[in-house]
Formats: sequence, C-alpha cells, structure tokens
Amino acid sequence: MQPSDNELVEQVRGGDDDAFRLLVERHSRPLFRSAYRITGNAADADDVVQETFLRSYRSLASYDSRATFATWLHRIAINCSLDLIDARRRREGRIDAGEDLTLLPSSAATPDRVVLSSEMQHAIAAAMDALTGKERTAFVLRHFEGMPLEEIGEILGTRLNATKNTVFRAVRKLRHQLQPFTGSLT
Amino acid sequence: MNDHLDHDEFILAYYGEPGLGIRREHLAACDACSAELTRLAAVLDRVTPGETPEPSEDYEARMWQRLEWRLAAQTRPAEPPARATLIRTRSITRWLTAAAAVAVAFLAGILISRSDRVPQQIAATKPAVTATATPVAATGVTEQQRDRILLVVVGDHIDDSERVLVELTNLTPNGKTDITSERERAEELLASNRLYRRTALDRGEEQMATLLDELEPVLLQIAHAPAQVSPEELRSMQKRVEAKGIVFKLRVVRADVRNDRRAPAATHLQQPTI
Repeated sequence: MQPSDNELVEQVRGGDDDAFRLLVERHSRPLFRSAYRITGNAADADDVVQETFLRSYRSLASYDSRATFATWLHRIAINCSLDLIDARRRREGRIDAGEDLTLLPSSAATPDRVVLSSEMQHAIAAAMDALTGKERTAFVLRHFEGMPLEEIGEILGTRLNATKNTVFRAVRKLRHQLQPFTGSLT
Repeated sequence: MNDHLDHDEFILAYYGEPGLGIRREHLAACDACSAELTRLAAVLDRVTPGETPEPSEDYEARMWQRLEWRLAAQTRPAEPPARATLIRTRSITRWLTAAAAVAVAFLAGILISRSDRVPQQIAATKPAVTATATPVAATGVTEQQRDRILLVVVGDHIDDSERVLVELTNLTPNGKTDITSERERAEELLASNRLYRRTALDRGEEQMATLLDELEPVLLQIAHAPAQVSPEELRSMQKRVEAKGIVFKLRVVRADVRNDRRAPAATHLQQPTI
C-alpha cells in the first residue's frame, strides 16, 4: 500500500529524502497544470513546479496538516506563479497594478486579426496577459478553478473586499478587451 | 430611482456569490438587468482555460533530477538546528567531494581533447605548480591548474551556449521552422552545463552557478523541442530566452572569463558580475 502524503512528510522530516522524491513524483503533474493555467506558459509552469518543491522543502517544518499536503503545495505554487508573473512584468517594464487598463485602448488582438487567425483563444490569451499578476491569479482561481473568494484571499494575503475588487478589476479588463469579439454585446 | 445592479454586482451574480440579497429579486424581475447579465455571461463563458499541454512521460523523474542537487544544499526540514547543520555539512561534503572528483576527471578529459585550443593557458599554469599547490590525487591536476582548465572550458561552454541562443532568437517565426541543429547542440550543452553548475557550486561560485542554473531550463526546452517547430512554439522559446535576459548575462560572464584567462596563472577564478 502506498504511504499517504502525511506519512511521507513525516519521513522527510525524519531525514528520508527518498520520501520527498515520492512526493515530487506524486504532485509534479497536477502542479504543472495549475501553474500553466496561471502563467499561460509551459516553460514558466516548469519553473514554478521546481520552485514550489524547493519552497515546500524549506518550509516543511511549518506544514501542520490542517490542509491536505496537496492543497498546501497548490497554495505555494499559486504564490510562486504570482511572483514569476510579477518578476516578468517588472523585467519587461509593464504597466503596474495601479493603472486602470480599462481606460486605455485595448491592446488585445483587433477583431480583424482574430477573424484572420480564427482563434478566439489568442484574444483571450492577450487579454489575460494584460492583467496584473494578482488580477490574473485571482481570476484564474475564481473562474477556472471555482475557488471561493475567501480562499483566494487567504492565498493571496488579501481581505475579502480587496479580493473581490481584484476579481472585479480583472473581469472589467477582460470584458473591455474581449467585448469587440462577442457579437451579442453592445 | 435607478436601482439596477452595478458592474460589480453583475459579476457577483455571474459567479453566484452570496451577498446580493434582495438584489437578486430585482435581477430576476428586471429585463434590462437580465439582459446585461446575459451580455456579461456571453464574454465570460468564452474565457476558457484552453488546452494545457501534458508534460512528457518522464516529467516527474526529470523534475526530481533537477531538484535533487538543489535540495542537497538546503537545511533538512524540522531538524533541530545543531543536528541539521551537522547533517547538512556531512551531506554537502560527501556530495561536493563526489561532484568535484567527477568534475576534475571530466575537465581533465576535456582538456586533453582540446589541447590544441589551450596550450598557452596550460603553459601559463606550470610555474604555479609549487609545494603549496594542492594536488588532486585522481588526476594529478593541481588546484591552480584546475582553475585555469575551468576557465577555459566554461568560457567555451558560455560561447557555445550564447551562439545557440542568438541563432534561435534570430529565427523568424514563419511556418514550420527546422531547429534540428540548435536542438542537437542544446542537448550536448545540457550535459556539460549540469557538470559546470555543480563544479561552480562546489567552488562556492554562486553567481556562476546561478547563471548556469538559469541557462539549464532554456537549453532543456530547446533540446526537448520537436525538430520542426510552429511559429507559436518558436515564439515561446524566443520569449523565454529574451525574458530571462540570458544572452546578456552570458556576454557579461564571457567577458569576465576572458579577462580572467588573461590574468596571471595564480589568480583565483573571479566572481563574474551578472
């Protein structure tokens, strides 16, 4: 019978690095999928998975089994993803979180380009890319993963109202960017 | 009185969040608000995560391979500090000793095979071989000779890596692009990159180790790419190279390494400024 995650954690704490290898093998793939949804990039998702395991190893002493190990890892991965997006945006000198992109002309693909490429997903990817790291992460967790706002706030370290506002801003920006491509909209 | 829902309330309604209270009754009864919610849903319903690429079959094994050496340098979790330090020291010492032995043997092998490229450097090291120099039993190579060998081979490795990355970033994403050559060279560089990174760690050259650590996933991505890449795949690789500023960092380090190669033989390998 396979040992449970918590049993493996205890073994790692007792000095058995092989037990950590089993945890890596067990959780790498789901973490990759989750990180990919937030970062939108396979190479970045790969980096996130590696960093998640390094951070989790360093802070394994603080894991207290209140959440499942998978949930705990997932939360670390979300924060790693957010850090990576923020770092990338800083490097690229992108607009910071204070600016309201809904006031700017849409930077997403134009309707013509979308028609030409016939790929709505490109327009969505461009619109998602225009979000700040926190907006993107909050939106992905609420919209794709159906996570409650309270839990998103816990992960991001924000109060409920601030979390709601982050999701609201993300939705407003996405709507602004994607509205031209949805025929039923005014 | 205008009691229609505002933008934020429509979003709460779309996600079925609590907190709307009696506003839900208005939403149900008001045609204008219902229509607006439908318009919002028309946008948000189309925002789907898209297809998530499935990692390769050996993904878990590769991930562990990448993690293993980095974990060795970390404090074991939940150990009392004194014991943890002792274990870590023993563990690192064992690991670094093994890595150093492998690295020196490997570097000496490279040196022999590249002897036509480095005669001046080897000659320059000879006067430095004194009674104070520490011989390495397995190969007979001294510490100072090892420094020089390392400079030569790492310098070449950096040159080769930079060349592959520059060629890749100069490709135009237009239809299927053949990157067989870049892929094969990245695969070759990947193996040596791991060894140099370990050696750099062994020698406490953290900045060099960090640069090689950043280079590794980039080489990995190229080495594992298909021979023919789509414009999207090529753009993704180019974006990654550019986002990490890796070419610039390689150039900086290469310049430092060249300066060190010109420096007197006894000079220890300098920390490059990345």
